[in-house]
Amino acid sequence: MTVRSSFAEFAGRSSYWFLHTFMNGGSSLPGKLTLKLDPNILQAFSKKYDLVIITGTNGKTLTTALSVRVLREKYDQVLTNPTGSNMEQGIVTTFITAPRPKKKGLAVLEVDEANVVKVCQYITPIAFVFTNIFRDQMDRYGEIYTTYNKILKGVKLAPKATIIANGDEQLFNSKELPNPVIYYGFNHEERAPFNAPANTDGLLCPKCQHILKYKMRTYAGLGNYFCPNCGFHRPTLTYAVTKIDKLTPTHSTFEIDGQEYTIGIGGLYNIYNALAAYSLGRFLGVSQTQIKDAFESDERVFGRQEVINIDGKQVTLILVKNPVGLNQVLDMIETDEKPFSFAFLLNANYADGIDTSWIWDGDFEKLARHQIPQYMTGGERYKDITTRLTMAGIKEMWHEPDLTQVIDKIKEMPTEHVYILATYTAVLQLRKQLADKGYIKGGMD
Amino acid sequence: MAKYHLHLAHLYGDLLNTYSDVGNIIALQYYAKQMDTDIDVKVVSIDNNFNPDEFDLALFGGGQDYEQLVVSKDLPNKHDAIDKFINEGKPFLAICGGYQLLGHYYIGADGKKIPGLGILDHYTLSQDNHRFIGNITIKNEESGQEYHGFENHNGRTFLGKGERPLGKVISGNGNNGEDQTEGAIYKNTYCSYFHGPILTRNGEIAKKILLAALEYKYPNADLSSQKALKIVPTF
Repeated sequence: MTVRSSFAEFAGRSSYWFLHTFMNGGSSLPGKLTLKLDPNILQAFSKKYDLVIITGTNGKTLTTALSVRVLREKYDQVLTNPTGSNMEQGIVTTFITAPRPKKKGLAVLEVDEANVVKVCQYITPIAFVFTNIFRDQMDRYGEIYTTYNKILKGVKLAPKATIIANGDEQLFNSKELPNPVIYYGFNHEERAPFNAPANTDGLLCPKCQHILKYKMRTYAGLGNYFCPNCGFHRPTLTYAVTKIDKLTPTHSTFEIDGQEYTIGIGGLYNIYNALAAYSLGRFLGVSQTQIKDAFESDERVFGRQEVINIDGKQVTLILVKNPVGLNQVLDMIETDEKPFSFAFLLNANYADGIDTSWIWDGDFEKLARHQIPQYMTGGERYKDITTRLTMAGIKEMWHEPDLTQVIDKIKEMPTEHVYILATYTAVLQLRKQLADKGYIKGGMD
Repeated sequence: MAKYHLHLAHLYGDLLNTYSDVGNIIALQYYAKQMDTDIDVKVVSIDNNFNPDEFDLALFGGGQDYEQLVVSKDLPNKHDAIDKFINEGKPFLAICGGYQLLGHYYIGADGKKIPGLGILDHYTLSQDNHRFIGNITIKNEESGQEYHGFENHNGRTFLGKGERPLGKVISGNGNNGEDQTEGAIYKNTYCSYFHGPILTRNGEIAKKILLAALEYKYPNADLSSQKALKIVPTF
C-alpha cells in the first residue's frame, strides 16, 4: 500500500469513526473523502481480497446476503457491503472500515450496474454473478441493452473472471465473451412451445430478431427460451432448480439438482436469488450440505420484506420499484391463505422514479379477483395509484396522501394481515413514522 | 353483454411496450364499459399481417431503440394497411416511438436516419446527450381542455401539412422544445409523447377515440348516452 493510500484510508476510517460516534451514521462520506485523497484507493485492496461482484437489476441485495451466508460456511471472513452502498463511494467505505484481514480475504459485493466498471478498474474480480436485467426506472437507467453494455464494460477488464449468469435471461447469452461462463436456471417443467405475454421486455432473438418462444417461463422474460426461426436457445444449465414444492408469502421450498432446500422468504424471484447464491457457493467449493445449513439457519437476511407488528396487526412492508418486481410481489401475496388488506404508497421523487407510468404494467387485475376486504392508496401520487386500482376494477378504497396518517389507518383495517407496497422514499418516510412511534428501530435495513 | 363491440389492434405490442402503453388499453376498456361497449385486443407484430378491415381502432406505442429499429424494418409490409386505416378516419393512437414512425423519419441513438411510414407529414430530429424528461401540461386549443402527461424523449418532432398539435405547451417541452406544440392530430389519429399513460390521465381523449370508433362502426346508432358520459378527472 502506498503512503498516499495509507493516509487516505486512515482519513476515511477516521471520518467513519467520527460520523458513527458523534453523528449517527453515514456511509458514503468516508468513501468520498478517501477517494478525494486517493482516487486509486481501491487498488490498494486488490492484493488483500479476492473479489466477487454481484450485479443485475433485481435481486442484488438478497443474492449478496445469501451468498455471504453460504460462503461463511467455508471462509472465515467474508467482507460485504451493506444494502444501498453499492456505488463506488459506498464500496470504498466498505473496504476502509473492514477489520484488516490476516490472510487474503474474500469480498462479495453488490455493485450497481453502472459502477461495475469503476470497481473493475482497480480490482480484478475472480467471479461475477449476474441476476437479471429488467426495465427499471426509465427516467434514470435507460434501456435493458444499455444496462447490459454498462456491465460488460467492467467485464472486459476481467476476461479471466468466471461469469455465473442467470441462464433463463436471454440477454446474458446475447454476446460472445472470452470469460468462462456458468449458467443457472429453472428446469422444473417443460410445456409445448408458447409465447410470453405481449407486455414483456426483451423478446427478440439476439441473432435473427424474431420473437422468442418458450418451453417454460418463470416470470417476465425468464425461462427456457428458443428462437423458432434460427434455433438460438437457452444454454445448458450447470445448476438448476429441478422442482418447486411449496410457495407461501414467508417460505419457499424447492429442489436444486435434486436436493430439497427451504428459504424463509416468499416469492419465486427469491428462489432465483437462492439459486444464484448456491451456484456461487458451489463454484467456490461449498458443499450442498453446507449450503442447506446456510439457507435454513434462521438468521435474518431478508430485510426487504419486513413484517412489523403494529398493535397486533402483522404488517408486511415491501419495497417496489419496477414492474417486474411489482408483479412478483403481487404473485407472492396471492399465495397468502389468510385474508389480508392491501395498501400501496406511491411517491415520485428522484429515488422512486419521477415517472409513475410503470404502475400500469402491474397486474392489479389479479388482486381484483380476490376478496380483499380493504384497500388503501397513499403517498404523494395517491391519485395515480388510485386510478390504476380503479381501472383494475377495484371499487372501494381509502386514500391517505399524508404518510404520517398511514399508521393510524392501518390499525383500523379489518384484517390481521396487511401488505403495504411502497416506493423507496415512501418506505423511508413510513419507516421514520414507525420508528418515531416505537414499532421498529430506526434506519433502513 | 355489452351492446357494442370494438376490435383493437395493438401494433407491435410485444416489442413496443417499454413505457407502459398497455395502460392506454386498460383505460379504453374502462371507459368503453361505461359506454356499453367491450373491446377485444389483438397484438399485430412482425410476421403478422395487419388487415385494416378487421379492426376499429389501433394503438401504436413506443419502445427501446433496438426494438423500434426492428419494427421500422417491418413497417413497409404494413404501410398500405395502416395508410388505409388512418385515412378512412378510424381512430389511431400513436405514442412516442409510434408517433415518430408515422412520420417521415427519425434520427436513432447512433445518429442514423430511420425511415418511418410517411403517412403523416412530420419528421423527428435528435438532440445531443439530452432528453426532454418531466411532467408536462398542454391545452387543446379547440376544446380548451388541459391534458397532463409525462414526457421522456430525445426526439424533436416538427409537424407538417395537414397536422395540428394535440395541444399548446403550458409547462414542459412538447414536440421539440421550440414551437410550444405537443403531439399531433390528423383525422382521427392522435399522436403524443405523453406517458402516464396518456389515456389514464386524460379520459376526454379516450372518450373522443371511443366515440370516433363507435360512430364509424355503427353509423346509425343512437350514441347520445355515450356522448353524455361524464369523465371524472383522475389526475
